[in-house]
Amino acid sequence: MSFKEFIKELNGGRVEGELIKTIFYSLITSFIVLGLLYYLKFRFIENFMTTHGYFLFFSALSYAIILPSIRQVRAYKEFLCMAGMMVGMTIGMIAGFLPGFFLASTNGMFIGSVFGMTVGMALGIWNGKCCGVMGVMEGMMSGFMGGLMGAMTAFMLFNDHLIASMVIVFSISAVILFSLNYMVYKEMKFEERKIKDDHLWTLVISFILITLTIWLMMFGPRSGVFG
Amino acid sequence: MKNSTMLFAIAIFVLVVGGFVFVNGKNGVTANVVSNDAQVVQGQMQQVVLSQNGYNYKDATAQAGKPISLSADSSVGGCLRSVSFNIEGKRYSKYLRTSEDTLELPALPKGTYNFACSMGMGYGKLIVQ
Repeated sequence: MSFKEFIKELNGGRVEGELIKTIFYSLITSFIVLGLLYYLKFRFIENFMTTHGYFLFFSALSYAIILPSIRQVRAYKEFLCMAGMMVGMTIGMIAGFLPGFFLASTNGMFIGSVFGMTVGMALGIWNGKCCGVMGVMEGMMSGFMGGLMGAMTAFMLFNDHLIASMVIVFSISAVILFSLNYMVYKEMKFEERKIKDDHLWTLVISFILITLTIWLMMFGPRSGVFG
Repeated sequence: MKNSTMLFAIAIFVLVVGGFVFVNGKNGVTANVVSNDAQVVQGQMQQVVLSQNGYNYKDATAQAGKPISLSADSSVGGCLRSVSFNIEGKRYSKYLRTSEDTLELPALPKGTYNFACSMGMGYGKLIVQ
């Protein structure tokens, strides 16, 4: 029953009712940045869509599915240990895996893993602290593992249906994050909201993440195989 | 704005932007393209044989202006038999399972071309003189 309630709550007045808005605002921000840069600079780069376009598009989608979970977790602020550890682990892992995967596909394993670990650990710690030091450690470990694994997976799939793998990896990550949204709702449905962030927060974080991704993809260090 | 309207807008955005990316991307070279014989002028081919040196390839040399047929001798093992080049944005790669298997590259200008195994673990240089 609570899943039906959760679906109903996506249109309700609690933080769950803001999840779709967060996806929307994050996507708009990333697409505006990408569109502007494409019009001004990227369209003059030969084979841009093949070498970078796919990965930037999926980066924008990824940030749009990660940010709603962060908003939901921040809204309740404090969780029980088990739930908080799951929050830290899920967000750290997905936020590390996906950016690492995309950046490693264009620039190689080193910069992909460094970026994946940085984003994964930062977001994992930030969200894992909702249950204290155990959540922080869980976020840190999963961000570390996710960043390395994402980059390594991309590099190992380099000559074996990389684009198809990217679509599959993204789809599975989306399902996992949606499950996290449901878990948080189920754990906290009798609790009051503690923090109310406005949507400027979504715009700023989306802007920072997509700008950093673009900058690293275009100007960051590359491994030997990328010439 | 209602959430249902937003969901509809998200779907439209993703379809339009994704369609644009995938339609434009199809015209280029994908990450999985293996070089084909049609790009190489037959009859002027030079043979280059790769060898392994520790965990990497030994540096190989070739002449400028002639298409290259690349093979790997028996010293090359593991994932290093899957050779991957990125030359001017185009990817040339092939799994050289036996010493008879070849990867064909187009005629290259002078320069040093880095290549790696498909996992990016072993590296080498093709020096075109």
